[in-house]
This record gives sequence, C-alpha cells and structure tokens, in this order.
Amino acid sequence: MISRRAIYSLLMLAALGVLSLLLAVTVGSVSMSLSELSMAVAGRGDPLFGELVFSLRLPRALAAFATGGLLALAGALMQVLLRNPLADPYVLGISGGAAVGALASMLLGLGTAMVSGSAFAGALLSTLLVFGLAQGRGSWTPTRLLLTGVVIAAGWGAVITFMLSLSPADRLPGMLYWLMGDLSYARSPWLAWLVLIPVLVVTLPLGRSLNVLARGPLQAAALGVAVKPLAWLVYGLASLLTAVAVTTAGSVGFVGLIVPHMLRLVLGNDQRLILPASVMAGGALLTIADTLARTMMAPEQLPVGVITALLGVPTFLFLLYRSR
Amino acid sequence: MPPARLLCRCLPLLAVMLWLGSGLARAQVCVTDDADRQVCLDQPATRVIALSPGATELVFAAGAGEQLVGAVSFSDYPPAAKKLPRVGSYNRLDLEAILALKPDLIVAWQSGNPMEQVERLQTMGVPVYHSEPRRFDDISTTLERLAVLAGTEAVGQGAADSLRSGMDSLRQRYAEAAPVTVFYQVWEEPLMTVNNAHLISEAIEICGGVNVFGELAALAPKISREAVLAKDPEVIIAGGMGEDDPSWLEPWKQFASLRAVQSGNLFFVAPSTLQRPTPQMLAGTRTLCSHLDTVRARD
Amino acid sequence: MAILEASNLVVDIPGRAAGQPFSARILPGQRWGVLGPNGAGKSTLLHTLAGLRPPRSGQVSLDGDCLTQLRRRQLAQKLAVVFQERQDSFPATVRETVLIGRHPFLSPWQRETARDLRLANQAMEALSLGLLGDRLVSTLSGGERQRVAIATALTQQPAIWLADEPTNHLDLHHQVAVMELLHRQAEEGAAVFMCLHDLNLAARWCDHLLLLYPDGELCFGPAETMLVPAALERLYDQKLSVGNINGAPVFVPG
Repeated sequence: MISRRAIYSLLMLAALGVLSLLLAVTVGSVSMSLSELSMAVAGRGDPLFGELVFSLRLPRALAAFATGGLLALAGALMQVLLRNPLADPYVLGISGGAAVGALASMLLGLGTAMVSGSAFAGALLSTLLVFGLAQGRGSWTPTRLLLTGVVIAAGWGAVITFMLSLSPADRLPGMLYWLMGDLSYARSPWLAWLVLIPVLVVTLPLGRSLNVLARGPLQAAALGVAVKPLAWLVYGLASLLTAVAVTTAGSVGFVGLIVPHMLRLVLGNDQRLILPASVMAGGALLTIADTLARTMMAPEQLPVGVITALLGVPTFLFLLYRSR
Repeated sequence: MPPARLLCRCLPLLAVMLWLGSGLARAQVCVTDDADRQVCLDQPATRVIALSPGATELVFAAGAGEQLVGAVSFSDYPPAAKKLPRVGSYNRLDLEAILALKPDLIVAWQSGNPMEQVERLQTMGVPVYHSEPRRFDDISTTLERLAVLAGTEAVGQGAADSLRSGMDSLRQRYAEAAPVTVFYQVWEEPLMTVNNAHLISEAIEICGGVNVFGELAALAPKISREAVLAKDPEVIIAGGMGEDDPSWLEPWKQFASLRAVQSGNLFFVAPSTLQRPTPQMLAGTRTLCSHLDTVRARD
Repeated sequence: MAILEASNLVVDIPGRAAGQPFSARILPGQRWGVLGPNGAGKSTLLHTLAGLRPPRSGQVSLDGDCLTQLRRRQLAQKLAVVFQERQDSFPATVRETVLIGRHPFLSPWQRETARDLRLANQAMEALSLGLLGDRLVSTLSGGERQRVAIATALTQQPAIWLADEPTNHLDLHHQVAVMELLHRQAEEGAAVFMCLHDLNLAARWCDHLLLLYPDGELCFGPAETMLVPAALERLYDQKLSVGNINGAPVFVPG
C-alpha cells in the first residue's frame, strides 16, 4: 500500500540521478559531441575521448554521486537521531577526526593511500570517542550526545588550526581541501558505493521505527521500539557513512544538512521515503555541482562546496517559501 | 688493397654506422628527476606542460619554450608564457585540459601540485618529471636535465653554465667579505622568513651574509616582530606584494632601537628575482650582494 | 484481555527514600484512578508500570510474565501509554501520527494494511478528529493534540490503558467524551489505569482509587472506600467540602 505520490517521487529522483551522471560524463573542459561520446563508449574513435570518459569523468561522477548519497543519508539519520533538524553529518566531530588524521599524515609527508587510510582511522576514532564519552551513567539522551560531539568537534578544530599553523606554505592548499571538500582529488569510488548500498538497504526496514523514534524515546519505547540499540545502530551507520564520504572527497559541506530538509518540505516526514530519496537527491545534487565546478570557469577549477551552496540555498529558500 | 678501394668499401659501412649511431643517440633520453625517479622518453619531448610558474620559467630557460603547449595560471615569465593555454592552477589541475593537449612530458612541482592528480596522470601513461630545486646547483642541473629531455642541450647547457659561472664569480668575490647579519622577510601577514635550507638563504650566504634565523627548523617559519628585535640584524631585506612595492619595510621604521633602521639599511628586492627557483635568481642575488656592499661601505 | 500485576513494587524516585511497596492486580474491566498532589510520583509510577523505568524493588508482571522478561514489542501489543507531554520536533500529519499506534503489530518490512488504516480512521472519528486527518499536528491546539495522543493509543487496541492525565487541555465536552470512551473500553474488557489531578473526575468515573501521598505512603481500594474526606484532605493538604449530585460525591475546596 505504498502511496502513488511516493512512487512518483522516487522515480523522478532516480531519473534525476541518472541524468546527472549522464551530464557529468558528457560535459567537461574538452567538448565532446554525443556521437563522439557513444563512439568512445563503444571503444572506437579518438582514444583521447575514451580516456576522458572512462579514466577521468566516469570515476569522478561515480565518486561525486556516492559521496552526495552518503552525506545526505547520514544527514537524514543524524537529524532523526538527535531529533534536531539542524544536525548535519559533521556535528558530532567525524569530519574533524578525519581531517586530523589526513593532515597529520600530510605533515609527515606520507603517500596518498596513507592519507586516505589515516582519514578513515581518524573518523572512526572520533566516533568511538564520542560514543564512549556520551554513554556515561544513566540514560542516554540526544542532548548529551550532541553536546559531547560538539565539544569533540571543537577539539579537533583546534588541533587542525594548530597543524595548519605549523605546516609549510605549499602544503596548505592540499590541507584546505580536506576542510572544504573537493572532488578533483577524489579517490576511487568503489569503497563509497560498497558502503552506500548495503547501508541503505539496512536502513529501509528501520524506517518506520525511526518515524516512531522521532516522537521521543519514551513514546517510542511505549510503542515497542528498542530505543537504545536502535539509536546506537543509527549512530554507528551515520558515522560509517560520513567517514567514508569524508575519506573519499574531504568535508563537502551543505549536502548533508540541506538535502534531507528539502525533501521533507516536499515529501513529508516518512523516513521510509526520505532515506532513499535523500540518497538519490544528494547524489544528483553533488554530481551536478561538481560538473559545474569543473566546467564553469574551465580550465580554472572551483571547489565543489561553493557550487553546492550556490545551488542549494536558493532552491531551499524557494521550497521553504512555497511550503508556508 | 689500394687506399681508394678501401675507402669505397668502408664508406657505406661507415655511413650505416654513423646513421645507426645518430639514430640510437636520438632514441631513449633518460634523466633522474628530483624525486629520484628515472624519467625516460623514447625521443626528445615535443609537447611539454609545466605545472607551476617556476617550472614554466625553467623550461623556457632550458631552451624548450617552443615545445611548451600548456601552463598553469600565473605563469607570467617570460612574457611568451602568458600566451600559453591554461590548464588550471598549480593546486587544482584541470586534468581534462592537460590530456586534451596530448603532452609527452609534464614538469611537475613536487611539493606544490596535488599528488593525487599528478599520480593520476602518471598512471594514465604520461611521463612526469618532478622538479624540486633546493640549492642553486639544483637549478643548473634542472636546466641540463630538462634540456636533455627536450633535446635542446645546446641552449640548456649554455644557460646552466652561465648560471654556474655567475654564481661562482659571486661566491669568489664575496668569499672574504665581512659577514653581515641579515633578516630576510618573505611575507608580511603572517611575518615569515626562511631558514638555511632555503634557496634565498643560500643567496644570502653567497653574498657574505648571515641569515639571523637560519637555524630555525621550518623552511619558512612564522616569527614575531619581537624575535627580529631580539636578533637586531644589521640589514633588513624584504620582498613585497608586487614587483615594485617596498611597503613591507615601512612598519620597521618605527623601531628606532634596530641597528638596521638607525643606519637606514632597509632594502627591497623584487620577489620574482629571488623567490622563484629559476635563473632569474642570479639577478636577484647580484642585487642582494650590492645591497650588502652598501651596508659594508657605510660601516 | 490482560492482567497487570504489581508485586511489592517500590518506585524509584531519585533522591527520595523508598516508599511503601505496592501490590495489586489490575483486572480487565477495572477503571483505576491515581490521585495525589504534584510531585507525589504519579507519573513515575505509571512509567514503572509500563516498563519504561526500572523500579527500586519489586516487579511488575503482565499475564504472569515479568516485564523485564518481555520484549518491548510484545508489551506494546497489549499495553498502551498516553503521556502527559509530547515531543513534536518533526512535522507529521494527524493521520500519520495516529497510524503509528499500529507499529507494534507490523514487522519491519511490512507496510500498513487497509485494516490498519481503518482502525486509525475509526480512532480519529471516536476522538472527533475526522476532519483533521491531513493537518499537521504542530498546527493543532493543545486539546486537539491531546486527542491525537489518545487516538494513537486507541489504534493500538490495547488490553491495558496507562493514561497520564488524559483530560489535560481538554474542554468540558471533550473531557466527558474521553472519559466515556475509556469507560466503554473498560466495558469491552480493557483495564484502565489513569493518573488524574481532578478529584471529581476520579470520583465520577473510577471504580478503584489509589491515593499516593508525598511521603511515599499509599492506600488503594474500591472507590467508595477511598473517597473519605479525611483521607483526601490529608492527601491534598486542603480542606474540602463534599456535596452530592446525582448520587455521586462532588468535592470542592474550602
């Protein structure tokens, strides 16, 4: 008994996602006609075009889509977990931990694989730290978790500032990338997809329980939800999603906060719809933003965070205005 | 056998050997880059892309300016570099634009370019030469190595030799000169200087100067004005925001206790002549040495 | 139909000495009212009976099974709680909120069936919310939100009702309607256990009363034996005058 509106919305978002990927592969600094594109895909024609499509554009587009999906899903989960529409994936300090890990290995001059690995390790360390500290004695509350996370995030921020002040000037741009997010340096997209799909599948049956959890822990418990295990599961999943997103493309801002909101304004509050919709909308948004970032002023390359804000802010304001 | 006959028999063989020899010499050019990697090309490069303004200058100086097909933003010297197609900025490269130009050699700035993007180019089969000159001799050898890769040994060797001899003559001239303590200001906000490992410090040494902050650990440390007051150098030399902007010297004039201020030993050196690891540094070093001479004359 | 039993139950109120143990069986058809001044621990007792808070000592059992042995879902299929306060951080429509009452009966992958929807609609009708189905809960008045909460519990079709001040915010008409609804539920075999601050409502609608004194002392029994002015005056630390309307006692301060 899925509502027709829900099905239409999901189909439209899926179509948007596919279109965004197509756009990302077709468009770039080097202009390519559709016939050249189809020849490249078929393996014929100028080998340059084949290289552009398969070695540059496709991996980057897939990385962008996966990162956007990861962040939007993490944001939606965080907002339910903390019962706070202002929560984003980074509020509990995960991106700070990742940045500290990455910057530390950059300062030590380690290779790209080590930098990624350190970022992931930093993110997980931050997750465990916040989890352990927020437990305390007595009952867990979202407020306690939020406060712990915010303080830890501030701590990481201080460490980052310290490391930035120590670093040689030529390393700074690379370090800033981790704080701004940038898909030009994106690693292979496969880890991102390997995490995104299974986690999404796991959260789908949790959707209704999450709807109930949003009513408050006592109310949810009274309706049969195992509150604490569910909360920690959601926390763990959201942290994993964020850690992988940040490891893939740095701390891309805005997507995790705004996409779930925008969808809620249009589609209502059923997590069973919002969660998959977030993945598709977040992926599409980031892919389109990244495509614009690398072509708008080509050959100058812009950081993607600027474009997501430029696209997202007016869209959000329009939806907010319309919903009143 | 009569000599003429011998010659007639040997000439074709000689011709073949000569042709083969020159052909072999023209194949496979190899050098070791600053990342200690062997960079080998099947034949001298004809389409070169430089990934920093300094690298662009070095390629021109090595005589391979004609072979450059692309450069990053702010590549403004020599003037011909301004006309080169752009491929992004040094810290965010446009890989598509680079590939579209079909380069057969890329000159990368090891510490400045993003390693992920340069590695991506390498895995796609484009030869990359990593450049990271730390001493003057590195600049000369870079010119020689780039010239080998580009097949412009005549010009490149000449440029390297004149750079070496220029530096050597300066070294000899100032070997016995009275040492002068120097504070070199590389940036204003934050206040930054260089240590002994930096090229600028080597220039100061060549001119018989002593870098008061030479012993610090970082290559380009951030210091406080107090630290400069404590060291009380005889000379303050500053770069600036532009080629003609000595405004960074102004804030020092308020500190009447500084020897440098009392003697008026505040000098400006155009940053492009001393802050890029290129042959222009010879001109910058000469300017620096003449400033130190002025100081010595005043004493 | 289900039986909720408290055995030597001592409620845990942080910072307060243990009260008198409470042992009683709440049987189907019974309508219990819990009376006491503010801060006596009525809500805490209710939450403990619902299994939402651990007691300081003693235990609660449902149909013979101790609550700690039961899974939350099993418990929620028989027992519904109406809370005094609600959180509404995310907007939801009235219908969506009421439908949530069916959650304990649906497995994770299952979606709401036509029957579930029908139950929700019936519950909304019973609470005069029929026309408000698509309104956002956040746009409703306090009284309307209270009715939504009761409708949600009604959708659960519970065997046992634990209601904390169910008539809060309600105007007279709806107060009576809700109490009549609960009365009918009891007649159909449910057990109703509610905290009330309105003495007269308890006097009119409950057949069993539990008096909770602030020092932890309690006494309970059939309503007639509990509605003794002396005991009530001690409970509320307030002089009371008793009247009689239609055969039922009415209490007025003073």
